[in-house]
Amino acid sequence: MGFSLTVNGDRLSCAADPATPLVDILREEMHLTGAKPVCREGFCGACMVLIDGEPTPSCLLPAALADGREIRTVEGLAPLGMLNRIQAALEASDAVQCGMCFPGMVVSLTHFLTTRPDATRDDILMALTGNICRCTGYERIVEATLLALASA
Amino acid sequence: MMLGSPIENIPVGPRDAPASIYLAPSLAAALGALSEYGAAGAPLAGGTWIMRSPIRHEPLRTHYVAIGRIAELTAVRIGSDAIEIGAAVTHAALATALADLPEFAGLAAAAGGSANPAIRAMATIGGNLATSEFSAADCVPALLCLDADVEISGRDGRERIGLAHFLAIRSTLAPGRLVTRIIVPRAERNTAHARLPLRRAGDYPVAIVSLSVRVDAADRVQAARIAVGSVEPSARRWPRLEAALIGHPLDAAAAARRAAELTDEFIGRDSVDAPAWYRVSVLPGLVRRAAIAALGS
Ligand SMILES: Cc1cc2nc3c(=O)[nH]c(=O)nc-3n(C[C@H](O)[C@@H](O)[C@H](O)COP(=O)(O)OP(=O)(O)OC[C@H]3O[C@@H](n4cnc5c(N)ncnc54)[C@H](O)[C@@H]3O)c2cc1C
Ligand code: FES
Ligand code: FES
Repeated sequence: MGFSLTVNGDRLSCAADPATPLVDILREEMHLTGAKPVCREGFCGACMVLIDGEPTPSCLLPAALADGREIRTVEGLAPLGMLNRIQAALEASDAVQCGMCFPGMVVSLTHFLTTRPDATRDDILMALTGNICRCTGYERIVEATLLALASA
Repeated sequence: MMLGSPIENIPVGPRDAPASIYLAPSLAAALGALSEYGAAGAPLAGGTWIMRSPIRHEPLRTHYVAIGRIAELTAVRIGSDAIEIGAAVTHAALATALADLPEFAGLAAAAGGSANPAIRAMATIGGNLATSEFSAADCVPALLCLDADVEISGRDGRERIGLAHFLAIRSTLAPGRLVTRIIVPRAERNTAHARLPLRRAGDYPVAIVSLSVRVDAADRVQAARIAVGSVEPSARRWPRLEAALIGHPLDAAAAARRAAELTDEFIGRDSVDAPAWYRVSVLPGLVRRAAIAALGS
């Protein structure tokens, strides 16, 4: 049995078992190592990708349900080697510490900036409930998001 | 002479990977497939519980029938007497659908405040009610307060039972059967859902108090339904506290005092996130919060 996955615009076929979590296919078969399987429980957001434009923990999405859907990983958010708005703001705010949570943060916040242009600080905190930073660098991440919102 | 031992043909044990996930295009197709698979199959809705089976050291089923794309299971119908919630409606979609209906403020808070945003967009109400091993489900106590019924379908027909009855039988639901709808009567009432996670949001609630009250013109409680979740293995109502509120004005501090006198009927569950006694001890505070929220709704 095979699946057809559209990842960052490329159509790829995959022969994994139907319940294989998407994060493992992205990393092991497609060598897209941005999404990280950290908790494998849906709590931490380190594996976040966009599925048909919606942030989705790829540790909980079985291959069979990813079939035929539009998958975008952190590698596909900033084409042509440029940084997108939130990536630039995170860099300018010196927000990155160990970096483990950042691919997921960038995926969630890229979506957030496009859907919630009027967001407040509280909205940002609520939106990041499922993105855990083990280095606890939340203040700078929130500052960077406010900066990105203001620079829109 | 043979060196070493010959390679034995050891039978391979059951693989811990399902052989199939069937994306059912219609309810009839899902019921047909579930009936065919029998005990080897199970529904897969949002997958947020099933996909964590390896972490809980639980085996996966051989076959899953994915029900998340079936149109009639993903609709919320708001009628004048009742609302009908398709079993595959996600927590996020349910919270959005109920946003303008104050009588469902408690259920909207349960669905819209559980887990985290990405999980709310995946996890379904049917999965929330059907998972008997999950004690911290938010929608279960919220729906117990609303006198909800559960519709269960199989290839041979459908039946409708009360939610409390469903909770009692859910772990022995016959193979091939599926929760298809949740039916909630409409009524004038104030409802609220108070939960205590360890952080402000994002993790499982230590305890939950859901409340639904109807008050008369003099603000006295005429009818009350209170349900407690996450404290014991399965959510249930708190009839002694309900009775204690009837006939009195709803007063948050007084309700919390009555709750403190009546918590001895709960036997909390112990787990890594919270000890049993703690879950019980926070109940009066949650009753107070729920009463304040209900008064404001
Ligand atoms: C990080 C995290 C945090 C969470 N926090 C909370 C929380 O705070 N509160 C909360 O309420 N929930 C929370 N959840 C959701 C929790 O996983 C489940 O309650 C969830 O609602 C299950 O729904 P699902 O659609 O994902 O079910 P699935 O994983 O698809 O299925 C779960 C079980 O239900 C069965 N099933 C599914 N649909 C049906 C049906 N229609 N009929 C019969 N059986 C069915 C399946 O066969 C399976 O046995 C959290 C989840 C995660 C990942
Ligand atoms: S690894 Fe998927 S949410 Fe943590
Ligand atoms: S920067 Fe280390 S986990 Fe967030």
